Amino acid sequence: MPAQLEAQTEATEARKEKADKVDYKMVTFSLAGKEYGIDIMNVKEIAKAGRFTYVPNAAPFVRGVYNLRGEIISVIDLRIFFHLPAERKEEDSLESLLILRVDDHVFGVIVDAIDKVVGISSQSIQPPHPIFGDINVRYIKGVVENASKLYIILDVERIFAPQREEEEKEEAVPAKALAGAEASPAAGTTLASSGGDISSSFVKETLAAFKGFHVTGLNETWFEQRFSEWKIERAGKDVQLHEASEADEFIGGFWSSCTGRLWEDDYAAAFMATLPDLETKSLNIWNPGCGKGYEAWSLACIFRKRYPETRIKVWANDSDLLAISMAPNMVFPENIPDFYGEFTVKGKNGLSFIQPVRDSIFFEFHDALNPNPLPPLDFIVCRDMLSLLAPADQKKMLDDFADKLKPAGLLFLGANERPGSGWTDAGSEAIGAYRKES
Amino acid sequence: MRVEYINPFVEAAFNVLKEVLNSDVRRGELYLKSTSMPVMGVAAIVGLAGDVEGRVLFDMDKPTALKIASVMNGENLPNFDDLVKATITELANMITAQAVTKLHDLGFRFDLTPPAIFTGENMEVSDAEVEALIVPMETPQGKIEINVAIRERS
Repeated sequence: MPAQLEAQTEATEARKEKADKVDYKMVTFSLAGKEYGIDIMNVKEIAKAGRFTYVPNAAPFVRGVYNLRGEIISVIDLRIFFHLPAERKEEDSLESLLILRVDDHVFGVIVDAIDKVVGISSQSIQPPHPIFGDINVRYIKGVVENASKLYIILDVERIFAPQREEEEKEEAVPAKALAGAEASPAAGTTLASSGGDISSSFVKETLAAFKGFHVTGLNETWFEQRFSEWKIERAGKDVQLHEASEADEFIGGFWSSCTGRLWEDDYAAAFMATLPDLETKSLNIWNPGCGKGYEAWSLACIFRKRYPETRIKVWANDSDLLAISMAPNMVFPENIPDFYGEFTVKGKNGLSFIQPVRDSIFFEFHDALNPNPLPPLDFIVCRDMLSLLAPADQKKMLDDFADKLKPAGLLFLGANERPGSGWTDAGSEAIGAYRKES
Repeated sequence: MRVEYINPFVEAAFNVLKEVLNSDVRRGELYLKSTSMPVMGVAAIVGLAGDVEGRVLFDMDKPTALKIASVMNGENLPNFDDLVKATITELANMITAQAVTKLHDLGFRFDLTPPAIFTGENMEVSDAEVEALIVPMETPQGKIEINVAIRERS
């Protein structure tokens, strides 16, 4: 009997616990094949409807207005709002409509298909990840898993409520020629950041999401210039970046020359010209973020040519295991730049570097944000990598560079990067080199 | 950690586990870690010296250790006794030794220290300033995490 009683209490407790857990219900639906959810407290009802009354001059995502039992509500197509593919249905067919209530406003949103109501524990909602891609992360309340499906919970209040304030603000600032009808919804609750140009800060955010590229003091000069060029290129059209390919196009000019291949003769010569005369017996060079290793090989040859009597050690590391694993045993086709001729030997599969050059490089699988156990360094070559780190990490790396570099050492950054205060310019136009301020 | 060191450890772990357990072993995704890490319950450690300095740590929970020791000894070992400890220590030794042999063939000189085994609840390993490569291995007996931290003598 006691055992039975115990089991019973246990069962009640388990049930109670479960009831405790479900404290958040959401209506789930799909957009472009992905699952989303909206807090049920915001959903007034669901409906099937069609033949919306077109409203002239409205933003493209507004499908029209609809008469919901005597109440006129506006209907928004969530897929167009989020720049997702939306199939146009037949004129007479019905769309799945979620009738939402935010504050006192009632309106309808069109989605691909409404699924069901799912009860979850609000504890299990995970914060959104910055690279969700399709939908600007600010509109996402969180992500939750239920019955092995992943739901993205949209923050309805964020999407619809603050936008009106934003629009009012925009009207107050007349210089917003750029912010066409489309710009305002997508920019939404833009951070009130530098310059107040909503499009510019939105482009910055898209770059971070698509390319992991963070605009900070390090590369701001380039960004400002590129952004004004971009506006001209777009000739008054939408300046925002909606797809990864556009982000690629925007950022294309940023990368330093000879990225992802052996450095060309003239670039190698220009680099060599910035290297000072030195009287030391050994040189330590650090090349964080070396990727597939082309940069490290180029450096090893350049330093060997410039300082033939010196023992050279290049620490080349990258946190991409696949890229760095190939680096030590790289073989090249015959048509590499002439500069490397004296450092290569012909093998079965193509050209490879001579042993002394090979011995001078340590390729490491290593994340530079972790502690870097390196001796004092004469040179640090870190082209374009910093821009791909989060702003706080950029600062951390620059501090680490300053810490590890010998007083006379040189730091090489990407062509469009500037280290900011604490560093003096020591390079040429083609090569960005910097020395620590003492 | 130098790229050249990674494969010998991964291969050695895979080969030795497959051989002694006589079953399919799966390797998980490799990754880097530099924070302190909790130990699952049983940790065998082998030190490395020579051209480099470092250590290899084999981490698993107690049931896994018991099951592996049972398979390796061909008898059911229900208690965590000296035989089980000796067996896990030996496994750590075998894997590290095979990796070091492979590295020797590639021209890197490593020496081993005798292995040691730690057991207990709620243990944590923290070696500051060291980044470790984690090689997770899935065996039918349970999960083993191999934690390799090696750096060049500078």
